[in-house]
Amino acid sequence: MVAIYAVIAAAVYCIVGLSFALCYATGRFFDFGHAAVLAVCPYCVLFLTRTLDFPLAVALPVALALGALLGAAKELAVYRPLRVRHASPLVLLIASIGVYLVLQNSISLAFGDDTKTLAFGPVREGFAILGARITTIQVAVLIAAAIVVSGGAFLLRRTRTGTHIRAVGESPPLALSVGIDAPHVGMLSACIGSALAGLAGSLIALDVGMTPTMGMRALLMGVVAMIIGGSQSPLGISLGALLLALSGALATQLLGSQWQDPTAFFALLVFLLMRPQGVMGKLTLISNG
Amino acid sequence: MEYAAHILVVIGIYAILGLSMNLIAGFAGLLSVAQAGFYGVGAYVAAFLALQFHTPFVLNLTVSAVVAGGLGFVVGGPSLRLRGDYLVIATFSFQVIVLGVFTNWTSVTGGPMGLYGIPPVHVLGSAITSPLGFLVLVAATAAIVLWIASRLARPPFVRTPKAIREDHVLAAVRGKNVARTKLSLFVVSSAMAAVAGVLNTYYMRFIDPSSFTVMESIFIITIVIVGGAGNLYGPIVGAVVLVLLPEILRLMGIPSAAAANIRQILYGLALVACMLWRPQGLIGEYAFGREATPK
Repeated sequence: MVAIYAVIAAAVYCIVGLSFALCYATGRFFDFGHAAVLAVCPYCVLFLTRTLDFPLAVALPVALALGALLGAAKELAVYRPLRVRHASPLVLLIASIGVYLVLQNSISLAFGDDTKTLAFGPVREGFAILGARITTIQVAVLIAAAIVVSGGAFLLRRTRTGTHIRAVGESPPLALSVGIDAPHVGMLSACIGSALAGLAGSLIALDVGMTPTMGMRALLMGVVAMIIGGSQSPLGISLGALLLALSGALATQLLGSQWQDPTAFFALLVFLLMRPQGVMGKLTLISNG
Repeated sequence: MEYAAHILVVIGIYAILGLSMNLIAGFAGLLSVAQAGFYGVGAYVAAFLALQFHTPFVLNLTVSAVVAGGLGFVVGGPSLRLRGDYLVIATFSFQVIVLGVFTNWTSVTGGPMGLYGIPPVHVLGSAITSPLGFLVLVAATAAIVLWIASRLARPPFVRTPKAIREDHVLAAVRGKNVARTKLSLFVVSSAMAAVAGVLNTYYMRFIDPSSFTVMESIFIITIVIVGGAGNLYGPIVGAVVLVLLPEILRLMGIPSAAAANIRQILYGLALVACMLWRPQGLIGEYAFGREATPK
């Protein structure tokens, strides 16, 4: 039963992790603005379905398009001008904290800080599977994660765009020298990543509700999944997400649910310090000095 | 007058936090988001000692600084090896864990309700309860912290951190002990943040976990960046500007519910604007994170 819930949690971490990894592959810095995009999209869905009475099937794609647009906007308005000035990853990170503060507080101003839900209709009991009760939304989360992981793997491994993204991720100057338009590819992966973040945010909102600050925790869990997995590949992130969710479930069982996040971050610290290359061994985190 | 003294006390506490952050961000070019964690450790250790053992202020201050410094050593030792952006993630983890302990270790920290009824500071047998009296204490402490920071910012010591900031490979080649300098700055910085926490405890005489979140860490970073990282007086300028900003909003008559969000938006815009157009901050001479030679 615990394992089933862990798999559902892992599915969410996995989508967030992959959305972040896509942006990180070409952006190469920790973009806190990503957390804000993740939160903006469910609020957009809320606005479209509640205020304008759109059906969810229309509202969700519109919100994801807005997410992609927002990803492009912050890239164009803030990150690209900084890159032109040879800013280090830390400068981009600080600027992204600024972006996060602006977007998150704008949501707070517009919608308030209280928890809102996207759930429709009466609460149903859900299906019983292996002693766990699973709602329709949670089934949707699992399906979405499966599609996103396989789709992500297909995009990165089997398409021209994916090859370009990986090339820019390896070395932007080298990619440029073989004729890949690195800024263009970066923009594209930022858009796809942002839309995926919006999807993750909307799924979280449908399942457990949303607050303007929801993005920060979700983003960190995604990043933790990426670091524990030790790879930016969809497979590595899925593995990391699963390990993270299982450790969280274990912590809940042994210590109580309030220790779930501290335990997850303790696991992250241990990984960062003991095995910085992660389970798959494909990240390089140690500075060379 | 009381109001002005209160604002100055708050500015003093944030100036100390800014000075502590500046040691790592300004002098060593590293970014940590755990500063509010160390700030909280100082606050909680002092509150716990004062409530449980009724020990005097000076002893509690010393113990808090030593505990936070020790914790800084334990955290900084291994994590300072990490690349800059992963150091941010590592310190973020520490921040989340510390906040989790503050919130959930109810028997010691009072849990989400916090600790209250902390006795006032006694100096020469008389209790300091007015903001004006406390202002003297904060100003004196801030002056000592500034003096320590200026000692660290002066040759021969400063050459090493500044060399690390500009080019850590070259610094290592020149025989500077990069790792040890980084670590000692991190430890001193943690202890300084704890001192600010102790002052906060004795000033508010009540503490709860909400004062020590990651947003507080980000606010401290903003103080340093806006004021001018690497400049000795930059954090003080930053603290004055950023503490006064919400007061100005209040004088403009913006309702307090919206004011909190508007303040955060302004901080966010200030961070982006600094990074884009004025990376050296208001009075700094060093552009944070800009590489001397483009890669």
